[in-house]
Amino acid sequence: CSRLHTKPSISPTILLSNMYQRPDMITPGVDVNGLPIDPRKIQDHFEEFYEDLFEELSKYGDIESLNVCDNLADHMVGNVYVQFREEEHAANAVRNLTGRFYAGRPIIVDFSPVTDFREATCR
Amino acid sequence: RSRSKSKRVSGFDLAPPPSAMLAGAAAVTGQISASNPTIPGVL
Repeated sequence: CSRLHTKPSISPTILLSNMYQRPDMITPGVDVNGLPIDPRKIQDHFEEFYEDLFEELSKYGDIESLNVCDNLADHMVGNVYVQFREEEHAANAVRNLTGRFYAGRPIIVDFSPVTDFREATCR
Repeated sequence: RSRSKSKRVSGFDLAPPPSAMLAGAAAVTGQISASNPTIPGVL
């Protein structure tokens, strides 16, 4: 896959690039200071992130699905895919999230061509 | 779940730490003060 995907001008799905950062993103199971992290803490951290997202995104429309890439490899790391029921809801979310921050980092938001996550793998 | 009821602050609209902002501001004021000495000469 060349990873040169076309960005649609409108879609029911939006992509929030690199939005989720695992607490053990540098070394699995270990924090930035080299101290081991309780796996429950990592799970809680993820759930709080998911909750924040769901709460915020619900303001802009009906969410069909919310996918968070919880991976450590650099490809698609922390990408969040949000599929809304209507394209208009997705457009509303893009308008409202552009230029804002999440946890001290800018939110990078765009439309995504993905509409079926089971078929979303590049071959 | 009741956890969402306890008011945990959302990560949304949490701007970068002030230290990052100050570094940027210092760079800007540095540029301004550098141009100051030329002003008396012009006037």
